[in-house]
Formats: sequence, C-alpha cells, structure tokens
Amino acid sequence: MNAIEIKGLTKSYKEKQALCGLDMTVPMGAIYGLIGENGSGKSTTEKLICGLIHANSGSIKLFDRPHTDADVRAKMGVLIEAPGCFPNDTVWNNMLLQAANLGIKNAETEVRKALKLVRMEGAAGNKYKNCSLGMKQRIGIAFALLGDPKLLILDEPINGLDVDGMRIMREILTDITKNRNCTVVISSHVLGELEKVATHYGIVRGGKMIREMTAAELDASCRTYVALQTRERNRAKALLSCKYFRVEEDESEYLRVYDSVTPEEIVSYLYENGILISEIKTAKIGLEEYYIDLMKEGR
Amino acid sequence: MTHELKFESPSFGKRLKGMLGVDFYRLFHTPMYYIFLAIAALIPALILGTGGMTNPQTGEVGAMLYTNVWNAVAADTPLYVVSQIGEYANMNMVFIFGGIMVSIFIGNDYRSGYVKQLFTTHALKQDYMMSKTLVSAFSMACMCVTYLIGSVAAGALVGLDFSVNVGSLVCAVIGKLIMSLGWASLYTFLNVIFRKFFGVSIASSFFFGTGILIIGAAAILGNSSILNIFLYGSSVYACLSSNILTVLVCLVCSAAWTVIYTVAGTRVLNTCDVY
Repeated sequence: MNAIEIKGLTKSYKEKQALCGLDMTVPMGAIYGLIGENGSGKSTTEKLICGLIHANSGSIKLFDRPHTDADVRAKMGVLIEAPGCFPNDTVWNNMLLQAANLGIKNAETEVRKALKLVRMEGAAGNKYKNCSLGMKQRIGIAFALLGDPKLLILDEPINGLDVDGMRIMREILTDITKNRNCTVVISSHVLGELEKVATHYGIVRGGKMIREMTAAELDASCRTYVALQTRERNRAKALLSCKYFRVEEDESEYLRVYDSVTPEEIVSYLYENGILISEIKTAKIGLEEYYIDLMKEGR
Repeated sequence: MTHELKFESPSFGKRLKGMLGVDFYRLFHTPMYYIFLAIAALIPALILGTGGMTNPQTGEVGAMLYTNVWNAVAADTPLYVVSQIGEYANMNMVFIFGGIMVSIFIGNDYRSGYVKQLFTTHALKQDYMMSKTLVSAFSMACMCVTYLIGSVAAGALVGLDFSVNVGSLVCAVIGKLIMSLGWASLYTFLNVIFRKFFGVSIASSFFFGTGILIIGAAAILGNSSILNIFLYGSSVYACLSSNILTVLVCLVCSAAWTVIYTVAGTRVLNTCDVY
C-alpha cells in the first residue's frame, strides 16, 4: 500500500495551467522530497493532497482511500507556510487549541510529547509572536505531529533554519518515520539538506512529474568525477579537454573531469606535461547538481 | 515490516465540541469582542443621552428621540418602512456592528493560515460552518444584552419613561436574541464567499446588516408581513407589541436561514478552492 498515489492530476487557476497530468507515488514510511522550480506545481500538489483546493481532473488516493475521506484526513499533519497560530497566545496554549480542534484525548500529555520531539519544551511558555523563525518552524512541525499523523506534508520546513536547527530537523524527520510509522512529503529548495534525509524524490517541472526515484537510484545515476586544483588551471583544462570526455570548472575553482579515469592517471598525464597538482579527489555529483543537469536537459 | 494502520476520525459531537471550544476560547481572548460589547452598550446611551441636551451656545434644548426608554430597544409596531431615524435606531443596530465583528473574527482565520491546518485535518466543512455560526450568534446575543443594559442605564440617567407591557418586551428581546443565530449564519456565509477579500467581507456584512434591501422592498410593498421571511423583517417584527407568535416567527425564520446559509456555505467550501 502506498501512502499517496496520484494519477493524471490537472489543475488550472483561471488561465494558468498549474498541473498537467501529474503522477506521483509515495511509498509508506518514505521521506519524499518534492523538488521543482518556483511555479512548477509543488505547492499546488501539496494543497491538493491536503484538500485545500480542488483538481480539475485526476485522482488522489491516501492509503488506498480517496483523499476526501474524513477518517484518513484526521491522520494527516500539515505545515504549509505558517502553522496558523495566534500570535498573542503562548506556544503551549496554541498547541492545546490545536489538540482540542483535533479532538485529542489527554491533550496535555500529547502536547508535551510533541514539543519534546521538536526540542521545544523550554519555549512552551513563550508567546508565539516572540519566537524566532527557527522556533516557529519547529512549532509548526509540533503542530503537524499532534494526533499521531500517518502522513505529514511539509512545505519548505528547512527555510530559515540555522545549522543546528537543520540538524535537529533531520533528526526529527528520521525519528518520526522510523518510530512513528509516518510518511513525510517535504518540498524544499535546500537540496543539500534534503539529500541528507530523503529516501525518495519526485522532480516536478511545468506541472508534470518528470522523474521519481529512490535515494539509491539517485546515487546510482549520479556520475563520479575527478576534481583537482592546480595553479595552471587554464592550461590544465585545455590539456584535459583534449583527452577526456568532459572537463568543467566549478564554482570552487576545481577542475572536474567526467570520464572513466583514475586520479593517478590524471596526475601522471599532467605531470608529463609539466603541470603540478595541489589537490585531487574523486567525488559524485549531488542531488543539487543532478537536478540542475536535469533542468538543463529540458531546456 | 508490516504496519497496522487504523483510520478513525472523532465523532460529530467530539469534533464540534473541540471546534467550539477553540472558537469560544479565541472569542474570549480577543480584545475586539469586548470593544464591540462596549460599543453595543454605548449606542443606546448615545441615542438616549444626547437627545434633550441643552446647546451651550444657543441655549436651545434638543428634541428627545424617545420619551420611552424601551423604544431604543424595539419599535412600538413592526415598521419595515423607515421614514425617520427614530424608527430605525433600536437593537437591530447590534446586527450591523455584530456583522463587522464577526467578519473580523472569521476573516482572521483565513489571514492567519488557521484554516489550512483545520481543513487539512477536518474534511467536514459543515463542522466549521456550525461552529462559527454558533460562536458568532453567541457574541451577537451578548451584544444584544449589553445593548439592553446600556439602554436601561442611559434611560435611568436621563429620566425617561419605563412603562411597558413586560410580556411584549420579553418576547421582543427573546425574538431579537433568536435572530442573532440567523444573522450569524448570514455573516459566516458572507465570510466564506469573500474569504480572500477581507475588506469586501466586512463591507458586505455591513451592507446586509443595515437591512437596506428589505427597507427598499418595503418602500415598494409597504408594511407587508411577507417581509418577515427575511432576517431583517423578522428582526423588525420583534417589537414592543410582540407576543409568543412573534417569538415563533423569529425562531422559524432564524432556523430556516441558518440551515440555508450553513448548507450553502458548506457547499461553497466543498466545491471551491479554500486557500
């Protein structure tokens, strides 16, 4: 059984076509990274899953049930933009109100648990409006976690977090998928961070799902390259370009050689041509570069 | 690993209780609610207190709008055609200010993003319509009560006549309290319709609250009792010549419009994009 199964989803806003036949499959227990440029249809997809907007055509199933099913929707948590807290009230009271809205038994215990999970027990007495952006993001997650949800939809939860906040967010996401039997869909532009937690990816462009894959599939399809640094970068680039398939310069001023070649071969070849290398390593392109390449292919 | 998933949403009673609890909590923690209660008390005080005052420059004594304090609560007879402000200025004005308050209260749900959380986990939109209508009706009923207190206090201070048929007065006040429910359902509906346009929802609530459409219709139809089928008509019908039949008319009209607006609002939320 899949947590989410979307087929042929279309949605238009007046004259703008936001989604054109989007398909999406999210297995249970996955942390699914939904990636795409601004306006590609990520938020529209999330809002459709949450039932906040209606599709023109297509179907959405959550745990093999229609997404409009009240029973299955009661087991969803969401963080899209802001959690909808009352700014002048405390975090604790806001959480209790959400618990009351959800009809949760033992509300205080559940609120305490959710706040503990996001490491926010100490901020329970703070007014929501006085919390920092990072705190608000974590409170938003705590909100979404109330009622023991089996599906979490998080829109840009990593935005605005500092390094420590990102680490905590990673731990929270891993914890809830492993220990709470929860499936998570995250949309984010911070691909480097997303790569550290996601088990599955969906790449959306122009309202269509252009690729879906697991983290293992991404890893297999990411090419290995040799990166090197030298003082004679231009001459080295010219020499390497003559011999190897593709040579590029990256933003960190490394020369990258994309070919079936070992660092030893490159060191030897450049040395023979009188070029000394200060640093050399093998690496794989990450999600961000894979995504950028994929986007370039489509243009 | 096999996971057993159980999907079960809370019962209707539990859902509504939870949502009402949250809405009442919010209402009682919103300063605006108390401001509008105070406004409701001040309106009759201004109507009754300013009439009959002496102009310090000319020395002339202004004309009293009412000589009997209860005219500030309801008209003597159901007057749908308004020829002077005195026939209009009574407890029905609470429904105008109440509309503004309800619009601000509900509009905040959409502005703050609260409905995103709510509608994701609560698939049943009728719960939302019912909860908002009931809380808004309660707040307007409270405004009616403070209006009544303001009238009595101002009347006593000015020294107006308090003679009245107590039974009719009680029926009139009960009738207007009952009408709070119908008005609340209208305002909840208007806020659902204009959920993306905060200013328009306030303006529309004010427009319908004034009863201008019914006053216009009355100018053509005259003082016809057929106008009692509308919210403003029934609110006017609850006057100082009321009896138990008036209460029943208000009850039927208020309940009928509440059902209509709740069903219509639920349908809008179920078929249109909420956010």
